[in-house]
Amino acid sequence: MFIFQNIIIMLDSAFNIDCGYLEGLVRGFRNGILRQHDYLNLVQCESLDDLKLHLQSTDYGSFLANEASPLQVSVIDDKLREKLVIEFQHMRNHAVEPLATFMDYITYGYMIDNIVLLITGALHQRPISELMPKCHPLGTFDQIEAINVANTSVELYNAVLVDTPLAEFFGECVSEQDLDELNIEIIRNTLYKAYLESFYNYCKNLGGPTAEVMCPILAFEADRRAFIITVNSFGTELTKEDRAKLYPTCGRLYPDGLAALARADDPENVKQVAEFYAEYRALFEGAGNNPGEKTLEDKFFEYEVKLNVNAFMHQFHCGVFYSYLRLKEQECRNIVWISECIAQKHRAKIDNYIPIL
Amino acid sequence: MGSLFRSEEVALCQLFLQSESAYTCVSELGELGLVQFRDLNPDVNAFQRKFVNEVRRCDEMERKLRYLEREIRRDAIPMQDTGDNPEAPMPREMIDLEANFEKLENELKEVNSNAEALKRNYLELTELRHILKKTQVFFDERDGCAGNLDGGSVSLTQNLLPDEAKGPIQLGFVAGVILRERVASFERMLWRACRGNVFLRQAQIEEPLEDPATGEQVYKSVFIIFFQGEQLKLRVKKICEGFRATMYPCPEAPADRREMAMGVKTRLDDLNTVLSQTQDHRHRVLVSAARNLRSWMLKVWKIKAIYHSLNMFNIDTIQNGLIAECWIPVPDLETVQLALRRGTEKSGSLPAILNRLSCVESPPTFHRTNKFTRAFQGLIDSYGVASYREMNPAVYTIITFPFLFAIMFGDLGHGIIMTLFGAWMVWKEKPLSVKKVDSEIWNIFFGGRYIILLMGTFSMYTGIIYNDVFSKSLNLFGSSWHVPFNESTIRDNREIMLDPKQPDQYEGTPYPIGLDPLWQLAANKINFLNSYKMKISIIFGIVHMMFGIILSLWNHRFFNRRLNVLCEFIPQVLFMSCLFVYLTLLVFIKWVNYGAGEDVPLVLTPGCAPSILITFINMVLMKGYEEAKGPNSCSAYMYDGQFYLQRMMVVVAVICVPWMLVAKPYFLYRASKQRAMLGTGGVEGAMEETPSTMPVQPAEDHDMSEILIHQGIHTIEFVLGSVSHTASYLRLWALSLAHAQLSEVLWGMVLRIGLSTAGTTGGFAMYFIFAAWATLTVVILVLMEGLSAFLHTLRLHWVEFQSKFYEGQGYAFVPFSFDSILEANESTVTEAK
Repeated sequence: MFIFQNIIIMLDSAFNIDCGYLEGLVRGFRNGILRQHDYLNLVQCESLDDLKLHLQSTDYGSFLANEASPLQVSVIDDKLREKLVIEFQHMRNHAVEPLATFMDYITYGYMIDNIVLLITGALHQRPISELMPKCHPLGTFDQIEAINVANTSVELYNAVLVDTPLAEFFGECVSEQDLDELNIEIIRNTLYKAYLESFYNYCKNLGGPTAEVMCPILAFEADRRAFIITVNSFGTELTKEDRAKLYPTCGRLYPDGLAALARADDPENVKQVAEFYAEYRALFEGAGNNPGEKTLEDKFFEYEVKLNVNAFMHQFHCGVFYSYLRLKEQECRNIVWISECIAQKHRAKIDNYIPIL
Repeated sequence: MGSLFRSEEVALCQLFLQSESAYTCVSELGELGLVQFRDLNPDVNAFQRKFVNEVRRCDEMERKLRYLEREIRRDAIPMQDTGDNPEAPMPREMIDLEANFEKLENELKEVNSNAEALKRNYLELTELRHILKKTQVFFDERDGCAGNLDGGSVSLTQNLLPDEAKGPIQLGFVAGVILRERVASFERMLWRACRGNVFLRQAQIEEPLEDPATGEQVYKSVFIIFFQGEQLKLRVKKICEGFRATMYPCPEAPADRREMAMGVKTRLDDLNTVLSQTQDHRHRVLVSAARNLRSWMLKVWKIKAIYHSLNMFNIDTIQNGLIAECWIPVPDLETVQLALRRGTEKSGSLPAILNRLSCVESPPTFHRTNKFTRAFQGLIDSYGVASYREMNPAVYTIITFPFLFAIMFGDLGHGIIMTLFGAWMVWKEKPLSVKKVDSEIWNIFFGGRYIILLMGTFSMYTGIIYNDVFSKSLNLFGSSWHVPFNESTIRDNREIMLDPKQPDQYEGTPYPIGLDPLWQLAANKINFLNSYKMKISIIFGIVHMMFGIILSLWNHRFFNRRLNVLCEFIPQVLFMSCLFVYLTLLVFIKWVNYGAGEDVPLVLTPGCAPSILITFINMVLMKGYEEAKGPNSCSAYMYDGQFYLQRMMVVVAVICVPWMLVAKPYFLYRASKQRAMLGTGGVEGAMEETPSTMPVQPAEDHDMSEILIHQGIHTIEFVLGSVSHTASYLRLWALSLAHAQLSEVLWGMVLRIGLSTAGTTGGFAMYFIFAAWATLTVVILVLMEGLSAFLHTLRLHWVEFQSKFYEGQGYAFVPFSFDSILEANESTVTEAK
């Protein structure tokens, strides 16, 4: 029986037994992603109402139809997110193993962000009820609102997180220190590191096309975090040793690149590290903060979009669900960016969105 | 008037509208529903068009109406659907409508927010009341417990306390209400965060409470937490907030509690009266809105549709007007003119001008249908909308479809069931069509009610011919066969043959209609029926296909394609006649000539009848037989000179193949060469003279290789198709056989058990067995078999029949019609619910 099951698992087409419907669904959703000509139309809009009218002719349909007329960018943002979350949760509810765990893994990232958001808010004496709407709905859990009970990370772990799926990632950052800004940032990055590594291993153990697709994406995610942590750490109290502990080790930079990054003192050093990796070199070379140039962040986003679009070239794997969510998030960012530019009548930078298809 | 045989002539017209009258004119045209507008600004974005603001205002009004509708639905107020169809209001009325909706929406919103505040207040008070009631028990327990402690039995906690704290411990407490499903994680969190130093008691509130924000009914629990010290209090409060528990002050002294409960009760009563008044007010507002909601909705939809159409027009800046291009069926040009005149009269401006244009592209296909032909036209259109003005197979389908279906579904009993169902739907047509049912399956059945009715009646007819009623036969006229043997002969012999030559066994005249019921008992019934039904299928199939080929002649003649008649139609007919029509002739010859009887010569007795299948195969292989040796031996030929005739026909058929393949490309090639010699000018002059009713084909560049390939494919398709399609018609026999066998099995395996059980038990058993048999009959034999026969019939029409003449390259005429727009909108609204 065991051997038989193994054979079944080895057959790619057996993927369809459990996940065929959902894969079809997600591919259908993916076809609704805005294309270049949609963006060309969107950037021509004079007002947010124009934008709404144009989005009506796309896959978004009448998702803004019930909103009163002077539209706010925040309303658009909320509705975009709501639509995405509904889609994702619909798929999650229909998913069976291993896709179910895979999709849960996707939500853990949002949980980490939410926790950090709430703790930071609580540090600044903001009431939880005001912060809750800002949390990503995919990353909520039962105990999340009681998070301000915790003053130290031990309490955070013992009281709040121990029952959540994040508990296993928390092992390294338990300390008796009071929570402060730096601490929280460290917790976020440690959690994220543990999360990424765990997700990476999970995908790797799934094997087959899922590993083939997901591992490069997660490796890139890990490397991007390493770069960004390094760049952002310059001029802060973070010591080099502490910084090195935050680098996720599942990327292509591991181990040499990370060691080099740990020694970096200024952005120039980071760029030198990237020199050794062909695809990262290209990203760093084209990046800049001058007008007309794309920022490093945008470059990273562009590369991520490329990886995620490529994920749809394979069939019979879970990666499309991750990629779809990422692409759709990028699309939301694009639409919000364009809406902001329209709303603030600041059209000079309206073309700085990142086209997907 | 338009006929069903071809789609109607449709003209491209240009419409000059004055900007004042454009709205009213388009409104009139929308009511009429006979005009299809062409989008003249396909490159312009939706938000850059002229009337985008009006469209947006309509969207806004629609949104308000949807909001109203939602509220009305929430209060379950019936909405009146008077079925009247208000005209699209004038543009100036739009402002009134907008103001009206605005007022209603604001009023409703205010009422709602008031009601919500009141409800929240009410909820809080009810929760407080529950707390006061439930916590009584907890306090009693605690007091009892404290008393016990004083009495001397020392508990564990007591021991750990410092000695000074003797006497009743001063415990703080927090009381509140929490959602029931969150109790478990709440408790765990409390335990973790306070390290077990709190004591939680909880009790469920039995009746559900209404959540004021969503209006849903939720279940909640009362809890009370005992703890000691300020630190813990802070922490407990934070957790309570985190879990969205509402906390209420709860006095410690029983007397205070009782007093508070009294206060709460009176406030609740007051609140109830206020609440009911608010509700009444809301109800009044909604009821008055519900009266008009539908007509408002229709008006807004119409306005929106008009502006959408206006957005497709070009703006004539010089004359301050709009220019539209539209397709109009030629017979309706007068009606459209009249409607335009009405529209201009309403607005009192200059008349609109309608010009007919000549056009290059082919016009849309418009079939005028009625409720009877619509379903049949639908069957054809779902394969492909007919090319402009080509022969419409739907007319013939009306009869051939149910007929071919019935050949497969032949059973009088099942036919009656189907007919009754179809007849009921037709009979109750009006009430059923008014009632909007969401079930897709029902809508399919109802849409095809006339098809079902016809299929049922035709099945009854074939059922009579097959003499099959639920797999049994009717002996209405008395069988022509008699069994003269006595009982012992029948018992002793396993097989007895009836001889048609013996007058005491066969009367000499066949059963008046259909199959003789005696066949029901015959052991060779299946053999006989197979032979009969196979031949029938082939005959009908070939007639059907030949009919299709003949229809192609009408197409060729209509479109003036003489070359196609000569190079396609004639060889096709010859090919089919020489092979397959001849095959059916053989069948008839065999049926007519051979038989049993007193005066039949030996050569024509059944034993001597040659197999048609073998004959046909040998004909194609051009194989001859030995001639019959004498007048008394069987001959493989059915008539004199058969061999030579057959050989000739095969040769003709074979010649037809290259004829089809090469002739047309050759003539085209020659024509193009001639044209090249004459120069292009003459040709174009000739093109302009073609009558304007026909779409002018753009001069194609005749690429020879393309034509050759196309012709090759066409020929191969036809030649191979004629074989495979003929064989394909055998499905008529196969399905009919399957159907008959299945109903026989059902009778034999199910109903017979009931019929053969004796006594009272048999009576009771019959009750259930009949139910099973009847259900299975309807579900499997009528529904499932019906569906499968339907699909096979559909295939025979789409593939075998239509491939002979039907192009199906057209596009449907979609007129701008309020009726269809409203219908579409309404269906999306019902879907959204």
